[in-house]
Amino acid sequence: MRHLKRYSALAKGLYTPEGRKDRKVVVIDVRPSPTSKNADIFLQVTPGADFEIVHVLRLLIAGKRLEGLEEESLVGGVAFRQWQELAELMKACRYGVVMFGIGLTQSRGKDLNAEELNSLIIELNAFTRFYAVAMRGHGNVNGSNQVLAWQTGYPLAVNFQRGYPRFNPGEFSVVDMLRRKEADAALIIATDPSAHLPQSAVNYLKSIPTIYLEPHENATTTWANVVIPVAPAGIGAGGTFYRMDNIPLQLKKLVDFAVPSDLEALQGIKEEVLRLKRGEAAC
Amino acid sequence: MLKIINGQVYDPKNGINGVSKDLYIDGGRFVQPVQEAGETIDAGGCIIMPGGVDIHSHIAGAKVNSARIMCPEDHYDHFRAAADCTRSGVGHTIPTTFLTGYEYAGLGYTTVFEAAVPPLEARHAHEELEDTPLVDTGIYTLMGNNTMIMKALQEKDAAKRRETLRSLVSWLLASSKGYAIKVVNPGGVESWKWSAGTVDLDTPVQPFGISSRQILTALAETNEDLKLPHALHLHTNHLGDPGNVRTTLETMKTLTGHRVHFTHLQFHSYGITPKGGLKSAAPEIAEFMNAHPEFTCDAGQIVFGPVTTMTADSPMQFHLHETTGNKWGSFDVEMETGSGIVPLRYRPSVLFNASQWCIGLELLLLIKNPWQIVLTTDHPNAGPFTAYPQIIRLLMDADYRNSVIETLHPKVGHYTHLKDLKREYTLEEIAIITRSGPAKALGLSNKGHLGPGADGDLVIYQPHKDKEKMFASPVYVIKDGRIIVRDGIARQSFGGKRLVALPYGLKDLADGSLSQELAQDFADYYSISLRNFAVQYDYLPRMEVISCG
Ligand SMILES: [Zn+2]
Repeated sequence: MRHLKRYSALAKGLYTPEGRKDRKVVVIDVRPSPTSKNADIFLQVTPGADFEIVHVLRLLIAGKRLEGLEEESLVGGVAFRQWQELAELMKACRYGVVMFGIGLTQSRGKDLNAEELNSLIIELNAFTRFYAVAMRGHGNVNGSNQVLAWQTGYPLAVNFQRGYPRFNPGEFSVVDMLRRKEADAALIIATDPSAHLPQSAVNYLKSIPTIYLEPHENATTTWANVVIPVAPAGIGAGGTFYRMDNIPLQLKKLVDFAVPSDLEALQGIKEEVLRLKRGEAAC
Repeated sequence: MLKIINGQVYDPKNGINGVSKDLYIDGGRFVQPVQEAGETIDAGGCIIMPGGVDIHSHIAGAKVNSARIMCPEDHYDHFRAAADCTRSGVGHTIPTTFLTGYEYAGLGYTTVFEAAVPPLEARHAHEELEDTPLVDTGIYTLMGNNTMIMKALQEKDAAKRRETLRSLVSWLLASSKGYAIKVVNPGGVESWKWSAGTVDLDTPVQPFGISSRQILTALAETNEDLKLPHALHLHTNHLGDPGNVRTTLETMKTLTGHRVHFTHLQFHSYGITPKGGLKSAAPEIAEFMNAHPEFTCDAGQIVFGPVTTMTADSPMQFHLHETTGNKWGSFDVEMETGSGIVPLRYRPSVLFNASQWCIGLELLLLIKNPWQIVLTTDHPNAGPFTAYPQIIRLLMDADYRNSVIETLHPKVGHYTHLKDLKREYTLEEIAIITRSGPAKALGLSNKGHLGPGADGDLVIYQPHKDKEKMFASPVYVIKDGRIIVRDGIARQSFGGKRLVALPYGLKDLADGSLSQELAQDFADYYSISLRNFAVQYDYLPRMEVISCG
């Protein structure tokens, strides 16, 4: 809701002085939500139809005739007529943004859904300015994507086994690495695997040495071999936060904690590893 | 104390042209000859030049990183494993930050400027530059489509307008910790955001009805009012369009008498055939440059092979996506600018590309004064910076150049003049277009030369008939008096300085501020609060402030 107020729906802009009144908000979701209650148009769709819906919109935007679809035929549980109206609305608007989240990327079709949506956005730019914003889950997920990208070339699922970065989501992503039992130890930062990973992956983690940097007690702190309490980022430790639209902001430390920050803990571990390996190489 | 003896020295700024001379570095800077013993390098039979200076490259920040994410295919076959002193990395046209530093240093470059940074994303560029070792760096701050600047230009009272711009530009530079004012397709990016057409010099741009000409003349004047070390760094309207020579020359006439750097001029020196095709207008542009010593430019030379185009010129990128069908990324940076990314391949067999290649070299050969033109590939737009040695060979060796022309599209001779040009660059001229000239254009008195007080950056080359080989693999690269590269391998890795300009009139970088009215606009229309805008000093631990005036 904060997003609606600050950025997407209510905010007043130089070209939208009336704020909400100058905007049309369309929500497409499988069920009503607080967001859909604030929408001008709410299209309640059937689950798993994302690709089909976006594809139909693409064809409509491209001006293709869709054989066999009548005005009241259902596409994703919504009348075709309503998709026709939406396509016209998108083409005619002065500036449009599609925000999408895991509803689209983690349902049937997954990355193909996202790709189809990107194609739609690209094609809309022949008529007007249109953008897409991926609404990612955790706090500073984009920060980790950005740093990995400039240091390794890839935003996630990076493997250093050969001494240089390799990238292959589905092979080197964490769930896959754990499913294949490839990791022989784990260092976990800024997430709770017990809450976010499949049970089989968690079970395998429990069988290998697991070091866990975490500010709070949670399900993982009960079984991790080593738990290093760290100051919570953005409160007890400063740093850079990359917003979902890539705007970087500095977060300042607000309160002193008796424990180290993630950075200090990692630096300490690195120094100790180097001390143990000393004699091999030093620059 | 480091002593380099018996080398054949090229130091054009100090009038030294291939003379044997001993050099002394102490405390990171060149000093007068001293007796004191220290480490000595015998450079007998070798050629010595100052460290290279890249005046225009895209190596860090939001759009570069988005391109890395968008184009993993650029990385798969180009990787480097971690070694004793260096970290691993990947990427051919958009290398990772550490690799960027090692590769620049490996070519003898010790200073590089990132050419296009929106103030709102400056923090990101500085973070990446912190991870780009072995080179001193700086950023240019994008201003040519900034809403607040366009609003300020509405003011009818000339004196008041000038004063507002001075404080606004000072504040933008100081907040972003920038080095120069960068203008990209003035007004054109904003116009595209309104889905309006391309802009000429006098097209009024929504929402304030300000034109490219107004933006340009005002910022050129402000650049001089603030006594900034570098010229106004300008990417003119209509990049890449056949016939854009008309706009480029008109822009040059408008800005005559001002200090302006025309960047990647190759892309702006296009004539048009009756059928709408591309032909070279390099002779007209070179003639104008030759008559206007107040202007400098860089080449933006095409390199055949893959590139990743990226620029704040979002309409141009959309057009490139539409004409090539290649993948496209586009970004809107709120009140400031936009940007776009399209990967591409230049092919010698494609007439348009072959002509572009010839036009860049024509500019390099027809602009008579080497202090007015800098060697660049607008990395990674026209080619990767790693191709500089190849371009040097093309400039120094007319036979080689002609042999490459033979491999181009057979009709390229109808539309270009390159095959008629006989000029060959001398080593001194190469030293000028790759280090002394850009250092001078940037107002960096400690760079691009080997005189006492200059930064202790130098390169030792083994002479070779094949100039590409010679410039691709220096024997030694020395930065701040430290040997960073020996026989092509990085021997140590450390962070370079960040070069930041302090506009004339400001006491320090924290001194800049917005007028009350513009501060209210900021509060109303930016998505962050004003106090979070300026890049904090934490992001520039080794900052060197260049005072102006
Ligand atoms: Zn550029």
